[in-house]
Amino acid sequence: MTPQYEIACRDVLGGLAEWRKWGRLGWQEIKRRYRRTTFGPFWTSMSLGLFIVTLGFVWANLWKQDPKQYLPFLTSGMLAWTLVSTLIIEGCSVFTAGESIVKSLRFNYTILTCAAIWRNLIVFCHHFAIFVLVALFTNVDVNLKSLLVIPGLALVAVNGVWFATLLGSVCARYRDVHQVVSSILQVAMFVTPVFWSPSQLEGRLTHFVDFNLLYHFVEVVREPMLGKAPSLWSYGMVVGSAVVGWSLMIYVFSRFRRRIPYWL
Amino acid sequence: MVSLVLDNATVDFPIYGAQKSFRSALRSATGGLIKREGRNQERVVVRALDNVSLNFREGDRVGFIGHNGAGKSTLLRVCAGVYEPTQGSVKIEGNVSPLFNMSPGLDPEDTGYENIVNCGLFLGMSWEEIDRKTPDIVEFSELGEYLNLPVRTYSAGMMTRLGFAIATAIDPEILILDEGLGAGDARFADKAKRRVDSLIARASILILASHSDALIQAMCNKAILLQSGSVVKSGTVEEVLDAYKQVNQAV
Repeated sequence: MTPQYEIACRDVLGGLAEWRKWGRLGWQEIKRRYRRTTFGPFWTSMSLGLFIVTLGFVWANLWKQDPKQYLPFLTSGMLAWTLVSTLIIEGCSVFTAGESIVKSLRFNYTILTCAAIWRNLIVFCHHFAIFVLVALFTNVDVNLKSLLVIPGLALVAVNGVWFATLLGSVCARYRDVHQVVSSILQVAMFVTPVFWSPSQLEGRLTHFVDFNLLYHFVEVVREPMLGKAPSLWSYGMVVGSAVVGWSLMIYVFSRFRRRIPYWL
Repeated sequence: MVSLVLDNATVDFPIYGAQKSFRSALRSATGGLIKREGRNQERVVVRALDNVSLNFREGDRVGFIGHNGAGKSTLLRVCAGVYEPTQGSVKIEGNVSPLFNMSPGLDPEDTGYENIVNCGLFLGMSWEEIDRKTPDIVEFSELGEYLNLPVRTYSAGMMTRLGFAIATAIDPEILILDEGLGAGDARFADKAKRRVDSLIARASILILASHSDALIQAMCNKAILLQSGSVVKSGTVEEVLDAYKQVNQAV
């Protein structure tokens, strides 16, 4: 084991183990969002809810679908998408946002990554209220498979750690990447089956969907919310991306962890 | 055994976005050597430290002396393990407590109590340690009920008191201080000095960067003179301060 490799691994494992620190940091950020507002993070939930309900009705009619079917689908999809996309966007700035502490202390940088992911999971729980409301007025199947939402979220979080660490490092060095990522995500939202279901493609462009990693991240969270089990292919893609991504992250982090304070 | 060893440590800062504005390499009176690297000399780097080798062990009280931009702060950060040298190595045995800015992680929106926990965690205290030390921090800062209010409502002096009280509550093995720690009104400054003294007394190794001869003489038993990123003199405080005076007269 080369020392650099060891340092990177120690940072990641040590950082994950310091859950009390990143747990606190994540909560604290949520608490800050509540300051001096009555609803705090629920404001984003409400605007998301407004977006979903209005567009849901229009699109259900546009695509000649039953709103009672379409609304839960759109809501669960949007919640999952919001989680995944904010994880990616905020992943870009994990290190740049922590500049002052990265430049004044020696600590496990992974704490910053974990705090960002934890924070977004808490936000997801806030948003979940919209889904509960929608589910009350429509017919959503709640069964044992619904519990799969927990491993689904865990898989997204596990992928989030490698993604945020990797993107955070790259964005610390190349500030343009942040802009590139947000531009791509904007388009990806329409290309990924969030507003529409892959079945509407009727067999066209199947590879386009099958190999869209973002789609599978959405699937492992969305399907259980609708009382269905995600496909094995989705689980395979998500687990595969975790394995490949973590290896890539460890490699890059080993080489460049030491450079991060220089880049900030 | 607490120790700190630097072996031929060199630190080059890459300067991004300066490529077009720098016409040629130059050596300036202040700051490190600015030079170009890479195939087409397209990369601008500042050499902030050049082949620095140091060896500190328990009981060492070291003062870093030098002009602005001589590399004092960079060297402090290398000693703290914040910057890993681009060449050479640094080996740190023991807990390092760097106090460069008063309060890493202080957030103006959080209350005083919340900030005590946040900063404490960043400074490497455990949850239990923070619980144990909070009464001391509260008492020392003299902020009383204000600790329940967001820090943004504090005056500058009150904020300094809080940051100072938290930062000095640690139990350091290797204590690294940049000058100018401690502020507030005259009465508090006096109290702060006593607190820093006891903090220093608890530390096994002290590293202090300062422009004040008196401070270095009072606190240190060793000194190092830095110039353009290199150690030009190391030895007892008197020897090094003499060398510094000669350098100043020469300029």
